[in-house]
Amino acid sequence: MDGRRLRSERTRQLIVEAYLALVREEAPALPTAAKVAERAGYSVRSIFERFPDIHALQVAATDYAITQVVTMAASRDGGGDRAARIKSHVNTRARASEHWLPLWRALIALQDGSAELKARVRAMRERVLSLMEHMYEPELSTLPDVPRRQTLIALEAIVDVESWARMREHFGLSFEESSAAWVQAIDRILPPTPSP
Amino acid sequence: MSSRQPPKRARIDGRHLRSERTKQLIMEAFLVLLRESPAMPTAAQIAERAGYSVRSIFERFADLSALRVAAVDYQLAHAAALAPPRHVDGDRQTRIKSQVETRAGTCERGVALWRVFLYTIDESEELKLRLRIARQRTIDRFEIMYRPELSTLGDVERKHLLIVLETLTDMESWARLREFFGLSFEDACAVWIRAIDRLLPATPTGA
Repeated sequence: MDGRRLRSERTRQLIVEAYLALVREEAPALPTAAKVAERAGYSVRSIFERFPDIHALQVAATDYAITQVVTMAASRDGGGDRAARIKSHVNTRARASEHWLPLWRALIALQDGSAELKARVRAMRERVLSLMEHMYEPELSTLPDVPRRQTLIALEAIVDVESWARMREHFGLSFEESSAAWVQAIDRILPPTPSP
Repeated sequence: MSSRQPPKRARIDGRHLRSERTKQLIMEAFLVLLRESPAMPTAAQIAERAGYSVRSIFERFADLSALRVAAVDYQLAHAAALAPPRHVDGDRQTRIKSQVETRAGTCERGVALWRVFLYTIDESEELKLRLRIARQRTIDRFEIMYRPELSTLGDVERKHLLIVLETLTDMESWARLREFFGLSFEDACAVWIRAIDRLLPATPTGA
């Protein structure tokens, strides 16, 4: 019984991974059930036995991606001096943006037709804000409520996934140059670090 | 003979003007529909709103893609006319406030078209070119408004700062301030003003 459930979970996982691989490869086109089935090595029927419709698969794939991003961010060292924290934050955020850009774009395009996907976009943005609150607590703690909120909102705009894409695709910056632009911007926007 | 020519020229010009006016009304109907709903309007909806037939639309635009490109050009020209650089010689705070309010006004008016534009950009090289033009104009404006501060930076730092400023004040960034964070026009401007003031280097003495 447990073995059967495990196999079914494994199949579900492979379908989600196939969907994500196709999103990355074929963006901006969204994968069809037939293509996902072909990539995963299952029948279309297998997909719809596990997901009631393609929207449910999109939601499951988004949840899987969010878990991956959160795990990546959680492994980051929140300590260190100002420069180390900025560098660590930028490095993690840059890698996540580079990897998840196609899925993020699909999510943004699909969210208007789905309350569930819209909620996930909101959750991701809230998560970015709370991570920055944690990373830059020493600096942000020196600000009153309104400028603190303004600073966080501006930082969120700067480190948005599309902002990363713009540096890479539109302005043709390398990964390192784009990271350097973010490091410079965050360092300028943050207030001075208080003495310990 | 020469006395007969002016009336003939006037008749042709009048017809041409009416046709241009129709074209403009069709583009304006398209833009109004986009502001009302994020879905791409159909030719029938545009025709109904503009008060013309569907045939009139396709007499002036080869297809809806051509109408989209023309509407983007119209909006770019409109944005440039409504938002000339102001207070270029003002002090730092005056220049930041002026630039932010101008940009915010452009974003507030243009975000609906911008979204359709971005969702369909992969279909058209012409739209890609317009995107480059729009972004370059924003950067050019930063260069005009913040010349004193930018002149203190080296090439790489200056380039990176301009890119970050352009990203920060992007249409979608503005939409996020208004829709996601629920800020008023003034509060959203305050976020940009504070961020730009922090991002720019110190103003050199005497500037």
